Amino acid sequence: MMTRLFILICYFGICHLNAQNIDKDLLEVQHRLDTIQSFSALVELNVDISFINIPVKHAKIEYTKNEETKVFSEDFVLIPKKGLDVSLYQLFKNPFITVDRGTALRHNKTYKALNIIPTNRKADFSIATVLIDTFTNRIVEYEINTKKDGSYLVSMQYTNDISLLPISIEVKFEIERVRIPLKYMGRDADIDKDSYKSEEVKTGTIHIGFNYTEILYFH
Amino acid sequence: MKNLIFAEVYKLFKQGKTYYALGAIFLIEIIILFSAYSQGQDALDMILDNLKQSFYFEGNLLNGNLLSYLILNTLWFHLPLILIVIISGTLTSEYKDRTLLSVMLQPVAKWKFILSKYIVAILFTFLIVLFLAVTTFILAYSIFGDGDLIVYLNGLSFFESSDAFNRILWAFGFGAISMIFFSVVSLTLAVILEEPTKTWIAGAFFLIISNLLAKVNFKNYLLDNWLYVKLNDTWQYLFHFNIPWNKIYLNTTVLSLYTIVTVFIGVIIFTKKDVG
Repeated sequence: MMTRLFILICYFGICHLNAQNIDKDLLEVQHRLDTIQSFSALVELNVDISFINIPVKHAKIEYTKNEETKVFSEDFVLIPKKGLDVSLYQLFKNPFITVDRGTALRHNKTYKALNIIPTNRKADFSIATVLIDTFTNRIVEYEINTKKDGSYLVSMQYTNDISLLPISIEVKFEIERVRIPLKYMGRDADIDKDSYKSEEVKTGTIHIGFNYTEILYFH
Repeated sequence: MKNLIFAEVYKLFKQGKTYYALGAIFLIEIIILFSAYSQGQDALDMILDNLKQSFYFEGNLLNGNLLSYLILNTLWFHLPLILIVIISGTLTSEYKDRTLLSVMLQPVAKWKFILSKYIVAILFTFLIVLFLAVTTFILAYSIFGDGDLIVYLNGLSFFESSDAFNRILWAFGFGAISMIFFSVVSLTLAVILEEPTKTWIAGAFFLIISNLLAKVNFKNYLLDNWLYVKLNDTWQYLFHFNIPWNKIYLNTTVLSLYTIVTVFIGVIIFTKKDVG
């Protein structure tokens, strides 16, 4: 009888602990985002990397729940590996636990800081730090450390307090200088030895503006 | 003078070397297109390798604009070399065949004769560059289609298709000015050296030296800005993200002055020379 009681206590204890492992504010954010069935948007990509000159590019993105975001463009576009997924599907698609990191200040506003740690090896990131606006139940910033593609800091701006999807985002990431084999260099392409030695890794930023053409919600 | 120019045009298009030159240019284009078709994607992958960590790419960079840009780069060496051989040959062959003597026995002013050769050389150079541009656009766009152009000039620059086409078109135009300089120099060398082989060797040597000096940093304002070798690559400025038009106009004006001076020197030497 005592053994059975002990097992029962242990079982409920573990279940209770697991339930506590995901922050309720994050669950609320996830719940809100889960109401999006699909959306499509026209996006404007503005790449800001010191050694890359590229004009502002336009593309169309389409998202359907539980699928990767698709990008369409007639031009050549550089699509950041993280950030364009405004539904945060990649962040939530694998099981995870959260760790409370207190609060963080951004633009004189205090946000709740959490770590998201995936519990599934399939996840392509090892840890993410998210800042949640508990008033609007939205993520305003997240930093994701991927297993293969470095880390990305994504800041999201919204039109108003009720918008679920951001109107613009800024993606910051580290990027190595492009190294061109000499045979592919033009004659005017001088090698700046100092910059090659001292600034091998640079920070790149992409500003993405969204113009949503259709958003479908689950009712 | 007009008749002399017509006679020179007739002689130029009558000689087999002219058609060999056109054939050689076409063959170079075919080889560049073939090598780009077989290895172009690997080269692009290598160039974009570092960006792959942070980006996905949407769109095709192995396109007609990139191929046109690659062919445009024959302006560094291949095209001027062909022009040096053909243009100098218009005079050296006359020395060799002694037809020059026959012409000079006619009531023709020496300066008019040589000046008409220079004028035809300039017209022919324009024609060759036009031939290169037209065949490049036809071949490159029909095989590879259009798309954004990627260029590496102290950083990676991407140009939208229509912008890239305009830049390449202008580059051919300003490149023609550089080619005219080489043509005029080769004809002046022919005036001085007379013999075909010596002139070709001197012309090729001049071209090689020019290419080598173009990379040298003299750490001297005059040499680094106004030596002819620093003006011959003016067409490359068309592929700076923000085109420095003033620099292009100034360089082109100065290079044109060098060209005129070279013509003047050639005319003076030829006029004072004993042709017999």
